Amino acid sequence: MINFFKKKNKPTKQKDTKGITKEPQKEIKSPKTTVDFLRESNDFKVVEYKNKKTGITFQLTFVMSLIDEKIMQESAISYLLEENFSQIEDLPHLLPISDMEITTDLSQLEPKLLNGYVLLTVENKMDKVCFFAAQKHVTRDITIPEIEFSVVGPKESFVEALSENLNLVRKKLPIKELIIEEFEVGQLSKTKVAVLYLEGITNEEDVNTIKQRISDIEIDAILDSSYIGQIISDSTYSLIPQNLDTERPDRTIAGLIEGKVVVIVDGSPHALLAPTTVIEFFSSFEDYFLNWLTSSFFRLLRVFAVVFSILMTPIHVAILTYHYELIPEDLMGILYTSRTAIPFPPLLEALFLELTIELLREAGARLPTKVGQTIGIVGGIVIGTASVEAGLTSNVLLILIGLTALASFTTPIYRMNNTIRIYRYPFLLLAQLWGLLGITFGVCLLVAELLRTTSLGRPILTPFYPLRVEDFKDSFIRLPFNRQSKRPYSLRSQNKKRFSKDKANEKKDVDE
Amino acid sequence: MKLNVPENRKIAPFYIFYIVTSAQIGMGVLGFQRIIAKDAGADGWISVIVGGIIIQILMFMIYQILNKVNGDWYDIHAYIFGEKLSKVFSLLLVIYACFKTITVIRGYIEIVQVWMFPGFSSFWFGLAFLLLVVYVINGGFRTVVGINVFSMIILFLIIPLYLYTVPYANPSFLSPVFGHSVGEIFNGVKGMSYSYTGYEILLFVYPFLQEPAKSRKWAYLGLLFTTCFYLYLALLTFMYYPEEVLDSLIWASLYMWKIIEMPFVERFDYIGIATWFIVLLPNVCLYLWVAGQMVKRSFAIRLRTSVPIIAGLCLIVLPLLENRTQIHGFIDFTAQIGMYLNAIYIPFIFICVFIAWKVKNREKKSN
Repeated sequence: MINFFKKKNKPTKQKDTKGITKEPQKEIKSPKTTVDFLRESNDFKVVEYKNKKTGITFQLTFVMSLIDEKIMQESAISYLLEENFSQIEDLPHLLPISDMEITTDLSQLEPKLLNGYVLLTVENKMDKVCFFAAQKHVTRDITIPEIEFSVVGPKESFVEALSENLNLVRKKLPIKELIIEEFEVGQLSKTKVAVLYLEGITNEEDVNTIKQRISDIEIDAILDSSYIGQIISDSTYSLIPQNLDTERPDRTIAGLIEGKVVVIVDGSPHALLAPTTVIEFFSSFEDYFLNWLTSSFFRLLRVFAVVFSILMTPIHVAILTYHYELIPEDLMGILYTSRTAIPFPPLLEALFLELTIELLREAGARLPTKVGQTIGIVGGIVIGTASVEAGLTSNVLLILIGLTALASFTTPIYRMNNTIRIYRYPFLLLAQLWGLLGITFGVCLLVAELLRTTSLGRPILTPFYPLRVEDFKDSFIRLPFNRQSKRPYSLRSQNKKRFSKDKANEKKDVDE
Repeated sequence: MKLNVPENRKIAPFYIFYIVTSAQIGMGVLGFQRIIAKDAGADGWISVIVGGIIIQILMFMIYQILNKVNGDWYDIHAYIFGEKLSKVFSLLLVIYACFKTITVIRGYIEIVQVWMFPGFSSFWFGLAFLLLVVYVINGGFRTVVGINVFSMIILFLIIPLYLYTVPYANPSFLSPVFGHSVGEIFNGVKGMSYSYTGYEILLFVYPFLQEPAKSRKWAYLGLLFTTCFYLYLALLTFMYYPEEVLDSLIWASLYMWKIIEMPFVERFDYIGIATWFIVLLPNVCLYLWVAGQMVKRSFAIRLRTSVPIIAGLCLIVLPLLENRTQIHGFIDFTAQIGMYLNAIYIPFIFICVFIAWKVKNREKKSN
């Protein structure tokens, strides 16, 4: 394919050797040095052509790896060679390309060339040039959400291309109030970061805070939305995530509609939502697809699962180390027989099993899916049973650890999941130190941390503290849609009303 | 230093309910029954009611004072005696707040030592406790109030558990009603002072309230709640234990938990003691916050600096209180200060504020 272009390096430019190009680094912006810089790369091309009808020569300058050859050939070169092309002003009539600019301003040369534009000059004259777009878009197909999978409901998830992701959002929210503002972050990566919000609904202060924080970011490269998420967090010392990341367009749109600000980063399949509350990390988006009673049950179950998975093993350790009087006689018998032959104190036993589970998780996450499954079986079944049979751990604890691991997987947001994983260890150590008192101490510490954590300056524990009774409608329980006629109070949106409550509740009498 | 609380750092008026109740309920609850029964016997519950009425009156006075001055303890004293003397009074209060902190932490450590771990180190636990408190206070007043709310929610869960004693209760222990003289009942009220004090915290948090006038009913409700809670506990205790037994129980409320039995828990008292930590935490948070706040008002030192220093001073005192006698002497001493502070000093400044107000009004008129 490359042979198609007649490569013809002009003698004037050929003189440039590496020694010269390195020299004028201070003025990267001047067009000459930009070209010189690029010349060092193999994928930079300058090609000269001659029009068949008018006989004028023109040059195309571009970076091969960023250009879609098909666009170049079919929509540009063929027209340029065969149509009646005599001067640069003819181009808009000639080429079937919409993103085109004829300019005398050469300061745009570098960003344009490096973003998949082609520079067209006529007879080597640089006073008036044309840029036209011929970007290559390599995107992954839109696939089923893997992290936030749902049985019912939409099955599309974000991909790595910003334009594609914005399309997924825009498509479902065809209103003019949806504002998309783009920023460029990272001195080297120059990543495009889009801030989305609904004009007239989202709290302006929140929008400004996010925009301010994004434009203040000082970093060389943004390679994923999680970079942004971490940098714009209120406190980087807190383990609790302070913005919600989701790969689901539907969840993103629901967030926008509630009055949240969304950040989408080019190259990342995860959108960020802020401000957020703790309870949102335990609500899966599937909760809205199911009947409200069912989903309320699941939410309560998940909250219970979190408490269980953090506290169960520490309580076991505390009781067996210090407070065995607490256990009724019948239950004590079982615990006693399971532990008589174990040579380790409860803490070591628990740490051994917890670490095994962590290793399994980590190994499973790092390995290819197919091998990962085998790891699960080997680890879960073989190591578990073997360690009980060998008398290294008690089977009661094995059951508990298995249950807590299972319970911790119910958290729908992966980042929260990790947080919970880590919180278990301080609790275990505190339980060993002061028994049940240590556990309550840990609980207080955790509550204090939750109380102190804010998301975009808004307390993360709402609606519980500060108390917003009207926001309970979508917390531990989810009330039916006709009760959700108002936006969450804690978001302080400009327009509190989502839809008319009376109309939604209109009911007909019997037999009408 | 002038106090200027930004609007977004203030709290809604109804939180005063949680502040008042969680400031009152703490160490006192665990053992007040024996103290009031010493004098008032089984009529101790009458002392609880009388005490409840008295604190309502004192709360009324506090609101009258705050209505006139609209500030905190420092402003009130500055209003009456001028800035310089006000600093002295604020400093005295810092000492009282430290005493309260020490009694709560040391009292709790004593219980843990008796009940759970005999060799429990009061220094290390005190250090952890105070570090947690400093962490909470560094989050601001809102975080402190959040801890108050959390502890009250836990308390609401504990309260019904006392009903386990009902099947073993013997109402005849209460009779004869009014079997004691008025003087004895008043001695009982005095015995309640350590459990009832704490609501004076309002004198410090008032500038932090949004629409402070609306907090009034929540403050009264809070006092009513604690009175009812103590009454409920007192009645259940007096019906559960005969007077002679009660006399030897230092922590009657803890002993009552022993009767609780659930399919998976046999000795609830262990859980209860561990959970009581959550009930005590806001006590210490509030008092250390008050101490820090007073230092800030008087000497313009930031809370971030003053609170850890005050906490460090408390920590030094903790291991010095070694045995029961010392601890109880200290608690009794603090209780007495608290009683005089509330029953005598608050009415005194109430009158002073009125006189000062009259004088200042007259000056204004004559000008």
